[in-house]
Amino acid sequence: MALVYEEAKGKIIEFINSKAKSKSKFYFNDFTALFPDEKGRDVKKILTQMVNEEILVFWSSGSTTMYGLTGAGKHADGED
Amino acid sequence: MAFISSGYNPEKPMQDRITDIGPQHFSKFLPPVLAKNKGAWDYHEIIEPGILMHVGLSGDKVFTVRAGAARLMSVTNIREICDIADQFCGGHLRFTTRNNVEFMVGTLEEAKALKANLNARKFAGGSFKFPVGGTGAGVTNIVHTQGWVHCHTPATDASGTVKATMDVVFEEFQNMRLPAPVRISMACCLNMCGAVHCSDIAILGIHRKPPILDHENLDNVCEVPLAVAACPTGAIRPTKIEFQGKQVNTVAVKNERCMFCGNCYTMCPAMPLADKDGDGIALMVGGKISNRMTTPKFSKVVVPFIPNEPPRWPTMTKVIKKILDAYAKDARKYERLGDWANRIGWERFFEKCDLEFSAHLIDDFRDPAYYTWRQTTQFKF
Amino acid sequence: MAKHKTPLLDQLESGPWPSFVSDIKQEIEHRYANPKGIDYQIPAECPDDLLGLLELSYVDGETHWKHGGIVGVFGYGGGVIGRYCDQPEKYPGVAHFHTVRVAQPSGMFYKTDFLRQLCDLWELRGSGLTNMHGATGDIVLLGTTTPQLEEIFFELTHKMNNDLGGSGSNLRTPACCLGESRCEYACYDSQELCYQLTQEYQDELHRPAFPYKFKFKFDGCSLGCVASIARSDMSFIGTWRDEIRVDQKAVAAYVGGEIAPNAGAYAGRDWGKFDIKAEVIDRCPSQCIRYEGGKLEINNKECVRCMHCICVMPRALKIGNDRGLSILVGAKAPILDGPQMGSLTIPFIKAEAPYDEIKEFVEATWDWWMEEGKNRERIGETLKRLGFSRLLEVTGTTADPRHVKEPRHNPYIFWKEEEVTGGWNKTIAEYRAKHQR
Repeated sequence: MALVYEEAKGKIIEFINSKAKSKSKFYFNDFTALFPDEKGRDVKKILTQMVNEEILVFWSSGSTTMYGLTGAGKHADGED
Repeated sequence: MAFISSGYNPEKPMQDRITDIGPQHFSKFLPPVLAKNKGAWDYHEIIEPGILMHVGLSGDKVFTVRAGAARLMSVTNIREICDIADQFCGGHLRFTTRNNVEFMVGTLEEAKALKANLNARKFAGGSFKFPVGGTGAGVTNIVHTQGWVHCHTPATDASGTVKATMDVVFEEFQNMRLPAPVRISMACCLNMCGAVHCSDIAILGIHRKPPILDHENLDNVCEVPLAVAACPTGAIRPTKIEFQGKQVNTVAVKNERCMFCGNCYTMCPAMPLADKDGDGIALMVGGKISNRMTTPKFSKVVVPFIPNEPPRWPTMTKVIKKILDAYAKDARKYERLGDWANRIGWERFFEKCDLEFSAHLIDDFRDPAYYTWRQTTQFKF
Repeated sequence: MAKHKTPLLDQLESGPWPSFVSDIKQEIEHRYANPKGIDYQIPAECPDDLLGLLELSYVDGETHWKHGGIVGVFGYGGGVIGRYCDQPEKYPGVAHFHTVRVAQPSGMFYKTDFLRQLCDLWELRGSGLTNMHGATGDIVLLGTTTPQLEEIFFELTHKMNNDLGGSGSNLRTPACCLGESRCEYACYDSQELCYQLTQEYQDELHRPAFPYKFKFKFDGCSLGCVASIARSDMSFIGTWRDEIRVDQKAVAAYVGGEIAPNAGAYAGRDWGKFDIKAEVIDRCPSQCIRYEGGKLEINNKECVRCMHCICVMPRALKIGNDRGLSILVGAKAPILDGPQMGSLTIPFIKAEAPYDEIKEFVEATWDWWMEEGKNRERIGETLKRLGFSRLLEVTGTTADPRHVKEPRHNPYIFWKEEEVTGGWNKTIAEYRAKHQR
C-alpha cells in the first residue's frame, strides 16, 4: 500500500497532538511505528515533505535528532 | 551594523535553494604532481623530521613539509597559511587527520627553505605558529574536542590541556627517537565525540558528581520524558515534589546509578552537572588503530582521576611525561606503548611508570568487565 | 584592545606549541582594527568575549555553554549545533554562538582561493574562529547567530558550491585518508569512494532517519590513518589478496645498510645496524617470512597483511596487485556498554566504480538497522543485542571463519525450524508410538 501524503500527514499530526501533554519531540521510529506496513524510506519522504511545508521542524541534541511541530515545545530563555 | 543579504529570501526559503551538493570533488584541489602520480606512487622517505619525500613510478618527486597547528584556528591564521601556500606551493595545501598542515613542494631545497620559514614564524606571545615535525617514531599533534571553548558537557578544557601537554612533549614532536609512534588524543567528556578509546595515550575529561536539579525551572524548560529517556543507566524517573509551597513536576535521580555522562543535561538544561571539584581528568593508555604486527587495541584506564589544574594542568602533564619516558626507555624498536605494556605485563607497567594502582582501575561496568580480570596463575611478583 | 583581562589564559601563550590563546588574541586585534572596513554581521567583540568567557571557565573550573536544539537551516536536520552562553550580559558577543559544520573535501586537500573565500565568509558572518578540522572531519565554523545561518548556507552553496556536513541521527560527514593521492600503501581510491558514497547518500546525511549517528570512514590500508576501525559504524579498509611484491635487490640494500629502514621514521635514535631477522622475520605475526641465502621469501597464503614488513622495507616490498577492501561494521566509543571495534563482515570486495556491490551492502545494512535499531542505539550495539549472524543474514553474506577470532564458547544455538529434519511439529501421538508414558 503506497502512502497518500494528505492521509499520512493527518495521521502524523493527530499522533503528535495526542502526546502533546507530555512531549513535543519524537524520534523517527515513533512515526514508522504509525505505519507498520510501510518502508522507513517512504515514511521519511512524508516527513521530509512536512518539513519542507514548515509543518514539522527538526530538533537536535547534536548527537540525536527528533521531529516536532513547528513552534511547539519548551526551551530555555534566550534561545531561538 | 546593516544586515547584508546573501540573496536568501526568508519569505521563500525554497526559492533558488541549492541542497544536497556535498563537498567539492577533491580533484579540484590536488597539486598537479599528485594528480599526475595518483595511484602510481613507488615509495616514500622521511628525509628529516617533518619532511617527507614521495617518489612516483614516473620518477616524479614531491616533498611534503608537515607543521603542527592548533585545531582552533582563526581566519587570520588560515590566511597566513594561504600566503605560505601561495608563496611556496602554487596555492595548494592540505590538513591531516591530526590537525597538522602539510605544504608540498618540488625539491628538497625548497622544502628545507620552507621548513626554516615555518619554524621562524612566531605568535606575539612567543610560541611557534607552525612548528615543523610530527613524522615517524615521535609524538604528533593531539586530536581533541571542544572543551570549555564551545561544549556544554565538558569536564575539562580541551585546547588548554592539549597546549599544556604538547609543550611538555614538544621535543618528541620535533624528533623521531621513540620506540614507535605515540598517538595522544583528548576528549573532554566520556561521550568522546572525539573517539580517543584506541590511543597510545588518551586524556579524558570526567565528571564525578550527578546532575544538580533545578526543580523550580525544570518543568518549564524541559520535557520530562526526554530527560528520563536520555539516561543510559535508567537513573532518572519522573516525580512530583512540593517546591516553595507548590506542586511541581520534576525528576528524581538515583545518584548511585549515575555514570556522570551529562546526556540528561543535553536534553534538559535544568540538570547541570559541571562542578569544579567533581570534574577532572582520567588517563588511558595502550590503545592503537593500526593492524601492524598486533591487532588494534583499546586504551586502558591507568589513572582514574587527576583534578583540573588550569591553566597548565601540571599534575596531568607530569604523569604523561612519566609514562612516555618509561616507555621510551624500556620498549623495543617498533613496539607501541600498549604492546610494550602487554609484553612486560600490566603489573610491571605500573611499577615502571611509577603509577599507583587502585580498585577504580578494575572494570566493574557490565559484561566486558570480566574479560579484563585475570583468569590465570601466570603473573609476575 | 581586548576588553577582558585573561591572566590564566595568558599563561598558555608561552611554551613552544602553537598557542590558541595567541591566535584568538590576534583575531581580536584584527577584528577591532578592521582594516578592510567589514560590516561584521555578528558582533566584532565576539572573539574577545569568547576569550573572556573561556577565562571565566578557567577560574570557575566549569563550562559556561548551554545546548540549544532548534537551529539549523531550512529542510536539513543536521549541520548546525546550537550553543548559548550562560553569561550573556557579561559576554554579549557570544550570547548566541552556534557551530556550523562544512563538508570537507576527501583527504582535506585545498586550494587557497577556496580557503580565502571561506575566511571572508566567516569573517563577515561569524566569529572568525574555526576548527581545522573537527573530529569527524568537517571544517567547523565556531560561533554565529541564528539569523546568519541561512545566509551562510546560501553563500556556501551558491558561491562556493559546497554543502554542510552532518550532525544528529544521520549519516555523518564521511572521511578518508589521502589514499592514492600521495601514498604507495593505498589499496583502493579511498578519496573517490568517500566522495561517491557521500554524494549518493546526501539525503541520509542531511535528513535524519536513523536510530542514531552513523559514520563511514575510509582507510586505504590496514595501518588506518583515519582510525576507521575504531570510530566508524562502517569501516572500509584497503587490502589485497594476492602476493606482496618483492624486489630482492632492494632487500639486499636494506640488509647492507644502504637504505634506512622504515623510510627513516626511526632515524632519531641509534638502534644499531639493521637486523632483518630481529626487525622483520621474527616480528611477522603469522611467521610467514624466510630470509635465507640473501633471499627473502614470503608464504603469502599465510600472510595476514599486517604490513609490518612493508613498512620496514617500503622500497623492497610492495602491496599486492589484486586489491580491494574489507568492510567492518559497528565501531564506536565506549558509551554505553564499552568501546567496540568494527567487526569484519566483508573480508574482501572490489572497490571499482560505480561501487554497486558496496552500495547494496550499505543499503541492506541500513534497512535492517532502521527497522531493528532502538533509539540512540549505534549499529554496533544492535549487533551485540541481536547477534552478528543477523547482519550476515540481512546482507546475504555467507558465514566464514574469517568472521570470528574463534568459534563460540557455548552450544546455545538458536536453531531455526527449517534447519531441523522433520520440523518442530511432531505430535505427541507419533512420539508415543515408540515410547510408553
